[in-house]
Amino acid sequence: MTVSRRDFLKQSALASAAAATVGLPISEAAAAATKSAEAGWRWDRGVCRFCGVGCGIQVATEKGKIVATKADPDAPVNRGLNCIKGYFNGKILYGKDRLTQPLLRMKDGHFDKQGEFVAVSWERAFDEMEKQFKRTYAELGPTGIGFFASGQHTVQEGYAAVKLFKAGFRSNNLDPNARHCMASAVAGFMQTFGIDEPSGNYDDIEHTDTMVLWGANMAEMHPVLWTRVTDRRMGDPNVRVVNLTTISNMSSGIADLEIIFKPQTDLAIMNYLAREIVTRDAVNWDFVNKHCAFAAGPTDIGYGLRGSDKFDYAAEKDVNGKELTMQLGAAEATAQGKQAGATVKQDNRATPDKHWLITFEDFKKGVEPYTLDFVAELAKGDADESLDSFKTKLKQLADLYIEKSRKVVSFWTMGFNQHQRGTWVNEQAYTIHLLLGKQAMPGNGAFSLTGQPSACGTAREVGTFSHRLPADMVVNNPAHRAASENIWKLPAKTLNPKVGSHFTKLLRDLEDGQIKWAWVQVCNPFQDTANANHWIKAAREMDNFIVVSDAYPGISTKVADLILPAAMIFEKWGGYGNAERRTQLWREQVSPPGQARADIWQIMEFSKRFKLKEVWGEQKIPGLKEEGFADGKLPDVLSGSNYSPQATLYEVLFATPDNRKFKWPDAVAKNHDNHTAKLLGDHWFPEKALFEEYAQFGRGHAHDLAPFDVYFRDDVRGLKWPVVDGKETHWRFNEAYDPYVKKGSGFDFYGSAFKSLPSGDLNGITKPEKTSIAGKAKIFFRPYAAPVEQPDQNYDMWLSTGRVLEHWHSGTMTRRVRELHFAVPAALIYMHPADAKLRGLKQDDIAWIESRRGKIKAAVETKGRNRPPKGMVFVPWFDEGVFINKVTLDSTCPISKQTDFKKCAVKIYKA
Amino acid sequence: MRNHYVLAVIKLLAGLLLMAAGTSFAGQPMQANDMGLSKGSVFDTPTPKIYHYDNTPPGESKVLPRAYLGAPPQISHDISDFLPITAQSNMCVACHNQPDLRGKKREKGAVVPIPASHYTDQRKTPNKVTENLVGARYNCNLCHIPQTDAAPLVENTFSQKRSKK
Repeated sequence: MTVSRRDFLKQSALASAAAATVGLPISEAAAAATKSAEAGWRWDRGVCRFCGVGCGIQVATEKGKIVATKADPDAPVNRGLNCIKGYFNGKILYGKDRLTQPLLRMKDGHFDKQGEFVAVSWERAFDEMEKQFKRTYAELGPTGIGFFASGQHTVQEGYAAVKLFKAGFRSNNLDPNARHCMASAVAGFMQTFGIDEPSGNYDDIEHTDTMVLWGANMAEMHPVLWTRVTDRRMGDPNVRVVNLTTISNMSSGIADLEIIFKPQTDLAIMNYLAREIVTRDAVNWDFVNKHCAFAAGPTDIGYGLRGSDKFDYAAEKDVNGKELTMQLGAAEATAQGKQAGATVKQDNRATPDKHWLITFEDFKKGVEPYTLDFVAELAKGDADESLDSFKTKLKQLADLYIEKSRKVVSFWTMGFNQHQRGTWVNEQAYTIHLLLGKQAMPGNGAFSLTGQPSACGTAREVGTFSHRLPADMVVNNPAHRAASENIWKLPAKTLNPKVGSHFTKLLRDLEDGQIKWAWVQVCNPFQDTANANHWIKAAREMDNFIVVSDAYPGISTKVADLILPAAMIFEKWGGYGNAERRTQLWREQVSPPGQARADIWQIMEFSKRFKLKEVWGEQKIPGLKEEGFADGKLPDVLSGSNYSPQATLYEVLFATPDNRKFKWPDAVAKNHDNHTAKLLGDHWFPEKALFEEYAQFGRGHAHDLAPFDVYFRDDVRGLKWPVVDGKETHWRFNEAYDPYVKKGSGFDFYGSAFKSLPSGDLNGITKPEKTSIAGKAKIFFRPYAAPVEQPDQNYDMWLSTGRVLEHWHSGTMTRRVRELHFAVPAALIYMHPADAKLRGLKQDDIAWIESRRGKIKAAVETKGRNRPPKGMVFVPWFDEGVFINKVTLDSTCPISKQTDFKKCAVKIYKA
Repeated sequence: MRNHYVLAVIKLLAGLLLMAAGTSFAGQPMQANDMGLSKGSVFDTPTPKIYHYDNTPPGESKVLPRAYLGAPPQISHDISDFLPITAQSNMCVACHNQPDLRGKKREKGAVVPIPASHYTDQRKTPNKVTENLVGARYNCNLCHIPQTDAAPLVENTFSQKRSKK
């Protein structure tokens, strides 16, 4: 058969449209054309680089380059569909300005903080990095160093970073950008269930009748899940979708009910729902009595600000001062049963997470003020909507939740998580579902979605947070430290019991000189962190040394002292874990360009430069106070151990005798390369060995992962942990699905954290004796609290920030793809046309956006996909040229330490 | 013993070579301000450019080249009046839902029909082309996007082979 060029093009276009993306049966000629076009292509499985959905993809390579990707038709997550970003998983690797060699700031052949970037060898780069590290370590000890990790670290990279920092350097100053993404979700899970991560899975969408979005613009942020929601909504007239949001967005298109509320009043709406459930006698008492306990906590917990005005700009002082004392407004006073105008000292700033058991009667008392009238008045977010219309909507929402025959899934992401009371509002979602007994069953459940591809798999499960160890363990629990020291074969008391600095605090520490050496991997903290003017100045003007490993130059590389060129996703072996507990691994598909190297190689290569005697001797840890430790000190753990003081961290932590048993090459590679193994040159397979070592933490502890090779089997598209006896777990805590549930219990919320508690009432602890609530989940009462900064006469509008569909995070990858950049070339100020007019602005005018912290310029958009109500603007943060985080407020949820990027006060005026 | 010396010399030479390589690929020193997608200092406040979407009406625009074999086609015409897509109204589907035109030679100005893949429910009835557009494909603009008059911020060397019309 001959196919002319013209026919070939026609047929291959046809074939690609009809077949290549979904693997359909097609005409023979077209199939042949596709086949010939693809001749020489090698296809292999991968996972999408971008959001937390975790879509399966197929990657085609030819002559050492990725030439195409397609959505995997067999992946249960996405069944042959990607979003527009997902289709460019290949192209993101090929921006012309890829970093391909280490760059060090130099003057006259020496490192100089004020120098220009000069290309150096890896050897020279590591020499300087080591010298600067050792200078700081000698001066400040383990608390003087920091690591900015990521929810985009592969599982193995995150694990290596944790091990090097916590076991090697004995520092807990390692925290992921996932702190900005889902720390509130984690705290919510831990406090409610005693164990992290969702009970349900994405199949809940096909099983449910009702989907409620709370601060989750799924259409743009979880597009492929949104295709499933849409399919469900369009395919069944009984299905209802509700979009609760502070701005009208793309998800409203498919929603039956759009509820626009004022920032932070989701807390009040939740309590209205709880009150309705109670007053309509809709509590599922059978479920609640067997499986739940009621709880409350302190309300005077601050706002996660510094609590010191030493570094404040003059304009910042008033808001930052509220960190210590806050005057209650009328609504907040009613909501908390307090006196309006009362000044509340934030006495529980240091103990925001403490909580205790209360009675149902106290819970009922707590939600009592949240009547429809009170909540509607407080929460209505659109000035153009009538109060009656808003009330009707709230009632409809309550009806949907409460209707007995209805299954309900609540979804949320950053609207809840990036919230000054993020942990509380997460817990309130469980409160509603638990009261109704609609949790942990197919089609019923409160479902926290995540933002990053391995926020769950790496940041949470591996535990790259400043307080965590693998498998939900924490550094300030002696039993957890001992268990980790055992698996890691460390001398007792190697691990540092003092919780390290969270992501925002790492930046504050740079500003106040407490950290002088920092390493950044797979994130862009100097663009991503709120109140950025402080941090970029600290990076450039303080005495510190900042190393940034990245694939492309961006804001963080620009303020770095040393830039290390990083391999990108398919240039290395790796694994990600998505928001439904699905772990997916991939092989190296192509080699990294130039001198770029995988982060895991960088970590291990750097570890070769440290002998045990340099790190495992006595170390000072200012403020450390822990049973079994001398105040302010970590002991010398080397003297009594079997380790040689001359042994390197590489030998002791990574290339251990056990790990070296995993040989490279390995049959699972199917002839794919491994540049990490080859460069290390000692014939072991680090990504497999470290995965298996890490898996020891979770196996038998309800976090079971399958063996490494299983994830590469042809019939496997990732597996949802716990994987027990070769079977994944679809719904946790439910006896019908979860092997960890006690037989005969029906449901068993078996997580063990915070399950032994004192008792009290809404105001505090009254009985310090602890009661065990093993196997139960908590129904929290959490009140409405007003945002720490609100619009006033000077800064008169709300600012919310977020993503757009076409770009990923700070845009360093997607803005180098022509198609994505052309679609959304710049971040805009989305605003109501009336607000624009009031300020003499119209579509496409350039305006200043100014807060107490900084000001930037952007173009006005009054007709776009986001339609804020009057009094509010939305600005995406992907664009380094529209550096919106110079404007945002670095207030965090005091429990989770996650920043609230969704609300601060700004003024907008013509530029 | 002798071997040790040889090894040491080889290591030294390798080290020197590496160092030499370190300087030889150095080229010109690079200013931080010349890096990244927004040139200039991180302390600057640039004035953004204004961009416009192509306002060619449907039927008058040229089909855009695909990014690569299998990539979703981009929207080549004005869609400002067609959004948002809602459960009640989908202007894209209203025009492009033309199963009869599938596989036929396209007349100039004629609509590009939605392909058979979009009528196949890969989740529930895999590999079967049905009469109705699959619900999962209803949000056209999650995969198909219009283009502005922007210029690339930086060149991309991804192989475009076999993707040009």
